[in-house]
Amino acid sequence: MVDSKKNEFRKRDVFYLAPLWLLSLIAPDPYLYHKKEFKKKDLFYLGAICLAPLIWFDPHFHHLMVLAGIYAILALGLSLFMGYAGQISLGHAAFFGIGAYTTAILTTRYALPTFVAFWASAVSAAVIAYFIGRPILKLKGYFLALATLGFGEIFLVIVRESTDLTGGVIGIFGIPWFSVMGFSFDTYLKQYYLTWGVLIGLFIFSKNLVRSKVGRALLAVAASEDAASSVGINVPRIKLEIFVLGAAFAGVAGSLFACVMSIANPEAFSLGLTVPIVMMVILGGMGNLYGPIAGAILLTWLMDVLSRYQEYSLPIYGVILILLLIFFPDGIGTRLNVRVIYLIGYWAKKKKRDEGKL
Amino acid sequence: MLLLSIEEITKEYDGIIALDRISLKVEKGSIKGLIGPNGAGKSTLFHLISGVEKPDLGKIYFKGREITSMESHEISALGMGRTFQTLQIWGNMTVVENIMAGMNRRLKGGLFSCGLWLPWIRRSEKEALKEAKEILDSLGLLGKWESIASQLPYGKQKLLELGRALAMKPELLLLDEPASGLTLAEMRQLSEQISQIRQEGVTVFIVEHHMGMVMEIADKIAVLHHGELIAEGTPEAVRRNPQVIEAYLTRRNPN
Repeated sequence: MVDSKKNEFRKRDVFYLAPLWLLSLIAPDPYLYHKKEFKKKDLFYLGAICLAPLIWFDPHFHHLMVLAGIYAILALGLSLFMGYAGQISLGHAAFFGIGAYTTAILTTRYALPTFVAFWASAVSAAVIAYFIGRPILKLKGYFLALATLGFGEIFLVIVRESTDLTGGVIGIFGIPWFSVMGFSFDTYLKQYYLTWGVLIGLFIFSKNLVRSKVGRALLAVAASEDAASSVGINVPRIKLEIFVLGAAFAGVAGSLFACVMSIANPEAFSLGLTVPIVMMVILGGMGNLYGPIAGAILLTWLMDVLSRYQEYSLPIYGVILILLLIFFPDGIGTRLNVRVIYLIGYWAKKKKRDEGKL
Repeated sequence: MLLLSIEEITKEYDGIIALDRISLKVEKGSIKGLIGPNGAGKSTLFHLISGVEKPDLGKIYFKGREITSMESHEISALGMGRTFQTLQIWGNMTVVENIMAGMNRRLKGGLFSCGLWLPWIRRSEKEALKEAKEILDSLGLLGKWESIASQLPYGKQKLLELGRALAMKPELLLLDEPASGLTLAEMRQLSEQISQIRQEGVTVFIVEHHMGMVMEIADKIAVLHHGELIAEGTPEAVRRNPQVIEAYLTRRNPN
């Protein structure tokens, strides 16, 4: 009798967890750069992603998660460029826009199937990134940030002014649903599995990159370019490669966005998008691939929740962001691993305790 | 056989001549030392050789090829490894990843084959890990292979930087003040390490601020003073050279 009572979860055990939690904030995170291989935990995340929309069967939630997935693809590409290669890009929204407009124009003007337009979007964003990146990636730090920002603005001006091609400020309407071999993704649930399927594919690709020689070269460039070139790493080339890859990710995200929203207009790809995307990467944690996904879900959800409060939404949003940056300076994604383990441990033990009682 | 030859090199910064028509030769398989007081232009010379900076005049040949105007990563790809005076390890990676990143040039695979984790990538990653651990073992760092590189003590970080340069299998190894900031015991370990590297057939060109260690291990020594080459020869000859003695004495007693 005494033993069973001792095994029970008591309220004060929560206090035992508090120092651990504090420790997880202070101590350098072992998951940050360590062990880049796939782990069992990834299977848990995969299961959660597959089951979440079925458990929470609500069209609004599905739609929100579709948007979060699209932003996560965008943030994932930017995370490779910012978090790993250590460069700054504020023009990522432009590549998102290029992807969306490529799909919009090809499907509505030329009646090409969305599946073809999907690949064309990735390629067009990558090709433009190649020609933009070649000159501007020679810049560093703030100058690179300014140059990419300028590129984003130029893209917007071009889109607004070339009315014949892009529909100007009004944009392009009536983009068909995404469809593969006659199967149309016409409900939010189907779109959820489409975007998150693409995201998981790209995530595995990025994770493989990060744990291979490419990832090491990127981290080397971020830490010291002189040292990187002293071991024969071609610094300008690897920067360009990862910039182009990030742009291709953004093109893919843009294509999905156009198909899901069935509209492409310039407002969706302005600086108003760039800042949240950069925030997703920073909030999620630099140098971590789980981070941008966690950041994308958090920010999308936050923006949705706060939109109820109308004029108060922006101040609240700002305060929450500042608090997150104070208490999670390395990003929520880097600490998330530790917390989720605690949580799973707690529920697993609870079940055992209940069984022991019976 | 000549591995590296520097011909009449001149470098100027805002009117101050850092290097004045320096000519040097490094024989294959030897250990060459370069010494000189602070500000003599030793590190500048290394930056010019490894392509970090470009000379104003003169030519540099490595393995019979002119490398004067090549990019620094191209020069390293020819087989020239180096360490830095101010420590430049990659603190954002683990110790073993630092070594594996040093092998980058020798590993196969591009963006797509790595992203898709194709079978040969898997194999080469496994082999690279094994080889990196062997290198760490020879440096005595194997016990720390999984810790973050920036958390190592300074002496170990210096060794790690040496290991990274070795991981690219260089023919010529440029060591820029490898002993600075090391304890005596660590310095002795470093000397042994360098002698062993030479036995493996790597040519070593070493810049050192103080003479003791270089005198011990180098075959030939060159002395720089105020951007000029004032002496060159065996350690014994250099030690007796009056100009060298004067340069070092004036440094200690400027009055």
